[in-house]
Amino acid sequence: MSITLDQVTKRYQGAPVVNDVSLEVAEGEFFVLLGPSGSGKSTLLRAIAGLTGVDHGRIALHGKDVTHISARHRGVGLVFQNYALFKHMTVAENIEFALRVRRMKAAERRARRKELLRLVALEGMDDRLPTQLSGGQQQRVAVARALAHKPQVLLLDEPFGALDAKIREELRRTIRQVQRELNITTVLVTHDQEEAFALADRIGVMNLGRLLETGKPHELYATPATRFVATFLGAANLLLARQTADGIRFGAAPVDARATEKLDGMREHEVVAVVRPEEIELAPTRDKLRTNYIGSGTIDEIVFTGALERMRVRLANGGVGSQLSTSANDAPAILEVTRTQHEQRHFPLTPGQAVAIGVRRIHVLPTPLSSYTACAADKAGAERLASHPFLVELASRMKTRIVTRVEPALGSLDGQRADKPISGVAVIAARADAAAQVEWLLENGAAEVLVLPTHIAPPQRVLIHWLDEGARRPTLAVAASLLRHVPAEAVYVGIMPENANDSQRPFGVRTLLDARSEAQAVHGLEMRTELRFGAAAEELQRQLNAEPDQMLILGVSDLAQFRATCATLLSAATSASLMVVYQPTERRGTT
Amino acid sequence: MNGGFRQPSILPGFGLTLGFTTFFLSAIVLLPLAALVVKATSMGWRDFIEVLTDPRAVASYRLSFGAALLAALINSVFGFVIAWTLVRYDFPGRKLIDALIDMPFALPTAVSGIALTAVFAENGWIGQYLAQLGIQVAYTWIGVVVALTLIGLPFVVRSVQPALLEVQHDLEDAAETLGAGRFYIFRRIILPTILPALLTGFTLAFARAVGEYGSVIFIAGNLPLKTEITPLLIVIKLEQFEYAAAAALGFIMLIMSFAMLLSINLLQAWGRRRLTASGR
Repeated sequence: MSITLDQVTKRYQGAPVVNDVSLEVAEGEFFVLLGPSGSGKSTLLRAIAGLTGVDHGRIALHGKDVTHISARHRGVGLVFQNYALFKHMTVAENIEFALRVRRMKAAERRARRKELLRLVALEGMDDRLPTQLSGGQQQRVAVARALAHKPQVLLLDEPFGALDAKIREELRRTIRQVQRELNITTVLVTHDQEEAFALADRIGVMNLGRLLETGKPHELYATPATRFVATFLGAANLLLARQTADGIRFGAAPVDARATEKLDGMREHEVVAVVRPEEIELAPTRDKLRTNYIGSGTIDEIVFTGALERMRVRLANGGVGSQLSTSANDAPAILEVTRTQHEQRHFPLTPGQAVAIGVRRIHVLPTPLSSYTACAADKAGAERLASHPFLVELASRMKTRIVTRVEPALGSLDGQRADKPISGVAVIAARADAAAQVEWLLENGAAEVLVLPTHIAPPQRVLIHWLDEGARRPTLAVAASLLRHVPAEAVYVGIMPENANDSQRPFGVRTLLDARSEAQAVHGLEMRTELRFGAAAEELQRQLNAEPDQMLILGVSDLAQFRATCATLLSAATSASLMVVYQPTERRGTT
Repeated sequence: MNGGFRQPSILPGFGLTLGFTTFFLSAIVLLPLAALVVKATSMGWRDFIEVLTDPRAVASYRLSFGAALLAALINSVFGFVIAWTLVRYDFPGRKLIDALIDMPFALPTAVSGIALTAVFAENGWIGQYLAQLGIQVAYTWIGVVVALTLIGLPFVVRSVQPALLEVQHDLEDAAETLGAGRFYIFRRIILPTILPALLTGFTLAFARAVGEYGSVIFIAGNLPLKTEITPLLIVIKLEQFEYAAAAALGFIMLIMSFAMLLSINLLQAWGRRRLTASGR
């Protein structure tokens, strides 16, 4: 491996800007770090270059640990967005800078300079000053300068940011050519997905300091695992659907079963489906559709963009359409659709026209957190809960909706059942009898319950624990999904009985390592691990009391055990939010 | 854009502003200088040369220009260090120090002269210890340099500060990834970038030091041939009613100052051309 990052963390004033990033970049690979501004991608690049120290973790270049080696001795080439050329030096002096530092002979320096100028197509520009060059030419000089000392890796920090579109494309091609010719491992940081697609062998998407997903461009586009990647890489409609025994359904309309996963022995549940705008088919009537009908709607707006026609389709109320909901919080559901010239000729459209909607292909996100349902015994309570600042922030970051639900049974808890199963994550307010409410919700179809104290800040630290192994998988899945949207540190807390003897202790450590590697391999979640001794509930309580602004994700598979051990934990937890993840024991066998 | 609409500039027309410029320069600068020349030439050529080559006068030129040059050099070094500290580090009291830098601007120079004499005289706070080391500051040329350094410092600091603010961290980062050490980065990247500003500061400090009078006369002791500066000599001539001789000395100071400032300015212009060639 050319670059190896192992749990690299960089904090700024206590908050992690780069949060537990692990990554391997292969020899000669062109890797693009993609993310919005403030996602930590530039900080990560500077950490690789050695210009920023890390608070935790390890960085290795070509197998050699360089975590504590200064930028000066790391032997990387770095290209900046604003070129950072030495303005008082000529092009030749700029390019030879690294060679002069290394006291290379003048003749050799000259030969190397000529070679580099040929590589970036700037022959004969040796004696110009940077101020006499255009932006694109300056950046070429910067690339040549960064390559002069034959660095092990080439790092580019938004190198095209200051250039206009045409020059950008030209320079992009040059950089790709240079990279191929030298076969040099390259990491480029950008916020432009088109740039990432054009250049990358592999893309890593960052948000809120975490590296969410890595993969080949087409794989990430076709089968993203997270909402963020789905919407950041190109446009995407996120729809809530139900996973049933016969496949995915939007309301009553079944969608091609081939495109969906098996139910996996779980209860019927809500899922998040990604539908790309180009995978939607529009037709005058339902029977003219060649794909699965999912509803009808009217054209809201059409924008002509050259090759493609981009439009917004408002889903019709009533019938099947009403049960289809986009993830936007407010009522009118809008679908983004793009059509090719070919499709436009076959079925010309004007705003206001009614159409039947079909989908060619959907992709179901593996996230267990689909939407939030604020539950309370009365309407006022449910609405108050639905406007809880942390919940609202969480939902908007997850681009999902919060619905309210009034369940009088929550007040009395006299064994009355819910009319229809609770979908999505159930949310309740923290109170003395929260444990009983959680139990009731879990018995009535909820797979996750979030218990929110009234005054709670977004967590800085998320503790993860499961009461028994049966709940491990869903707990990790929920933790991974949640932590993509919360800039907090994840810590798995393994707890062993106080009286554990010496032969049991290694087993405890192994559980930790297993948990960590499973989180990493299956869910792409990097987390720390801690081993504690004592009774689970008391130990967790102690941990939650130790610091403010924490969250606990608790996996449960036996409700009786939950009631016995955690009733006090829930009634006492007023300073931390709590997510209970439930996986019924009896159904485990089928997975 | 031929003859049609012209975008008006914020200040009124070119003709008017040029008129003001010439008027002000003439009334405030050129005319008095011309009067000085006329006055100086009112004496005979022989007398003129005699006044100028008088050993007492020659010694005063040496002290005036030598001490001013030395003070400006000292200021360039320490003014740079101070500017660097103020720009690159954040520490409690930074704002206060930043404000203190300008004090020599506001202080009547006579006051700084008295203050310096109090400190550096043989029985002063610092002077008594220096005296034990055999160094006498007050009433020697060293005192003159100290006084000129004090009044010139803000010029260097205030010139260099904005230039340092503009040195991008990226430049240093780039040099570092290319393998350069700290001193190398300073010498090859930072210094050349701020050199024009540093030269400006140097010029200003030097010009101010040459013309300084008030603070020097207190600390210099004013021994003819030893610690007497040219401006003082001029005042002495005036007090002896030798107006023509005073004007002649003033004239020669004028010529020498102009020559030095012009050469520094040319040097600077050359440096700037190198940095921002072809007006991009």
